[in-house]
Amino acid sequence: MKRIKPWKMILLATMALSLFTACSSQDENTTASSETPSKEEATSSTPPDPMGKYPDTVTVTEVLGYNPPEDPRTVQGITPEQNAYLKDLKDMMNIEVKYKWAVPSSQFEQKFSLAMASADLPDIMELDQKNYEKLKNQGMLADLTSAYNDYASPVLKKYMESDGGFAMKTFTSDGKLLAIPAFEDPFLSTQLLWIRKDWLDNLKLQPPKTIDELEKVAEAFVKNDPDQNGKNDTYGIALQKDIFFWGFDLRGLFNGFGAYPSIGDKQSAWIKDSSGKLVPGLIQPEVKTALGKLQQWYKDGVLNKEFALKDENKAVEDITAGKVGISFGEWWYPNWPLNLNVDKDPKAEWIAMQIPGLDGPGKSLVPKIRSNKVYAVNKNMKHPEAAIKMINFYIEMGNKKYMDKNKPEQGYVYNWFNPRIYNPADIETIYTEVNKALDANQTEITLDDENYKHVADVFKATKDYLAGDTKNASKGINWGQYFSRAAKDGGWGLTRQIKESQAFVNNEFYGLPTPTQVEKGPQLDKLMQESFTKIIMGAPLDEFDKFVSSWKSLGGDQITQEVNDWYSAQAVK
Amino acid sequence: MKTLKKNYVLHLMLLPGVIVTLIYAYGPMAGLVMAFQQFEPLSGFFHSKFVGLDNFRYVFNLPDFKQVLWNTIIIAVFKMVLFLLVPLILALLLNEVTKRWFSRLIQSAVFLPFFLSWTVLGGVIIELFSLNGPVNGLLSSLHLKPIMFMLDNNWFRGIVIGSDVWKGMGYNMIVMLAAITGINATLYEAAEVDGAGRWKQMLHITLPGMAPILILLGVLSLGGILNAGFEQILIMYNPTVYEGGDIIDTFVYRLGMFSQQFGPAAAVGLFKSVISLVMVSVTYYAAYKYNNYRIF
Repeated sequence: MKRIKPWKMILLATMALSLFTACSSQDENTTASSETPSKEEATSSTPPDPMGKYPDTVTVTEVLGYNPPEDPRTVQGITPEQNAYLKDLKDMMNIEVKYKWAVPSSQFEQKFSLAMASADLPDIMELDQKNYEKLKNQGMLADLTSAYNDYASPVLKKYMESDGGFAMKTFTSDGKLLAIPAFEDPFLSTQLLWIRKDWLDNLKLQPPKTIDELEKVAEAFVKNDPDQNGKNDTYGIALQKDIFFWGFDLRGLFNGFGAYPSIGDKQSAWIKDSSGKLVPGLIQPEVKTALGKLQQWYKDGVLNKEFALKDENKAVEDITAGKVGISFGEWWYPNWPLNLNVDKDPKAEWIAMQIPGLDGPGKSLVPKIRSNKVYAVNKNMKHPEAAIKMINFYIEMGNKKYMDKNKPEQGYVYNWFNPRIYNPADIETIYTEVNKALDANQTEITLDDENYKHVADVFKATKDYLAGDTKNASKGINWGQYFSRAAKDGGWGLTRQIKESQAFVNNEFYGLPTPTQVEKGPQLDKLMQESFTKIIMGAPLDEFDKFVSSWKSLGGDQITQEVNDWYSAQAVK
Repeated sequence: MKTLKKNYVLHLMLLPGVIVTLIYAYGPMAGLVMAFQQFEPLSGFFHSKFVGLDNFRYVFNLPDFKQVLWNTIIIAVFKMVLFLLVPLILALLLNEVTKRWFSRLIQSAVFLPFFLSWTVLGGVIIELFSLNGPVNGLLSSLHLKPIMFMLDNNWFRGIVIGSDVWKGMGYNMIVMLAAITGINATLYEAAEVDGAGRWKQMLHITLPGMAPILILLGVLSLGGILNAGFEQILIMYNPTVYEGGDIIDTFVYRLGMFSQQFGPAAAVGLFKSVISLVMVSVTYYAAYKYNNYRIF
């Protein structure tokens, strides 16, 4: 008996302690939810000024998922806290940004889920649509209606209304604007085929227009030593482990087969069938045909044998190192990572093509709204209008007067700054303005508004590239800017042609994720990923039929129902 | 109470451990209530809706769950057995080594990977077993076909088990070596007088002398019967080997982190803990009953 006594005490202490912890967490919860945001403090007697400076410093918390700065000229070793944008923000508006945490982008999703689970959220949040749905349903988001009406700069309002208020309406719930959508021209999602022209020339091949021709080219790229280095070290088509992703994936190839499974990331696509209903592109028979072809290509070495182990960085390494000469992707590839390859191998020459189809060029899938992220504000934030002002600030920084200092070599890292709203017609503006200036043989951009910086940057790079001038940036960087945004046969130039010739199919579902999508989506995605990868790597093609029936029974049918309910009730047809 | 007074210094030494356990092991137990709720983070434990056993029903009906459970048990059982066997053999062999410097060297070399994290080792192992890695290089020099170890369900489990045992064997080996040192030296002298060679000495003195520590290690590892090595598998796996490599923890991780289904995730966690508790209790009782062995 004597032995046991201390244990009894420990047990008692334990129970007492767990009670304490339980109670303390309750306290935290009640204080958090009972605290009402006092908006009155913010709106003082002076009329709202979109660019106004706060008399007292307003501290705003944010979280950040960041990639290394895109521009190699950026100050070395700079941290997100040292971003020169933040210094200017403090100077101009007296808003101070504090990062609760900042992690590499690849860890962001995970870390943010954790923050949501513990209800430890920052003031301003960059959300995808699923997380927006979740936080909205939990009542975590602040109403931005008055903040937007009072503080949005005229330019921001112009951007937001450029689609007829379509996107804004989507993020308005019960008359309350709960998020500012960062939407863009949907055609930015158009899939193109990027291919090494110098390799084609080496092997005396024509650019492929059909899938059969693509197959011949890809096989030649594997077997006939396209880089003529005497080694068997190349493969055909770049691919990383996620079959539908934001880059180096297979959306474009599936589109070539008339299959429209996904608009990228983890979102499936919906097309209209003959009866006018929406059907999931993911389970159509065309997908099976495409998988069959991929299976054969995998066997023949057109795809990397270990693609299932490669993340995007590994895929990019292969492109940079000149191991692969074909990739499906969007207009921006020359800007990254093709420019890295161009800098590494002076002979490298990439061209863009419309995706090959079964007989002649194929049709790419284009969403109706391209808005993968939105900016929302925590309802506990005292100054929700600060978020709007920060967006105004970012747009303002595009003006000519900041041009001299707003440079990467002075510590300005644009893609670390949030919230960031672009001109939805940004790329189109750049394309037309730069080409206008080129045609008129101008030496300077005449445009003088908030688009100045973007246009002038590309114009300068284009001039430098065409003159072979590498004083300001390497050949690859200049070429990348030029060929992605300004060249008539480049990324955006070709995309415009595709748009004009109507060589696209629309993804018909553009509502917010349905309840079953939120709940079952990740599981269905896992099922797809597992089945498709296995089929490509050699599992029987009939596994696809099994996948389809599991997909349906595990929630797919319910999602189809919900999507069609949305379609008949809300879609603008 | 008397013993408490007499040995209060000893009890004081126990205190930090107890406090850490309370904070990190018992405190979070309050969170288990999530298993019975439709948990919403903002509402917290106190305002989320109770749904009884719905979460359990949901999880057990998921099509993957049986496969995941099976994977977990297989991987865990193999790991447990090998974690006793491999270090034991190593310890016995090392014990026979008379050159001190040599045995020290081996001990350090075997112990080394224990200190490296899976983040580092996982990457090394993926590279090692990749198509162009050294292992396949070796195979091709023996005129064997290259194998995609990390993308093959038949190999993946073996690599997971093997690499984990390799990483952790140093630790158990040191514990076992310590146990061997603790065996009364006079026993060996007596055996030698009786004419027992090294082999018989090992069989009749070393092994029985180590029995308690072996049982202890066994009982302790049984508590982790459903811990098949979360971090390791998370780093090493990919969709192609979900079938053979997905374990309860990685499953819960995906369920909780990416689907944000906290309730079902907590239910699986609780299920796992209950099984572990039962396993430890049963083995501990058995060890006590049949071998008169107990820790406390």
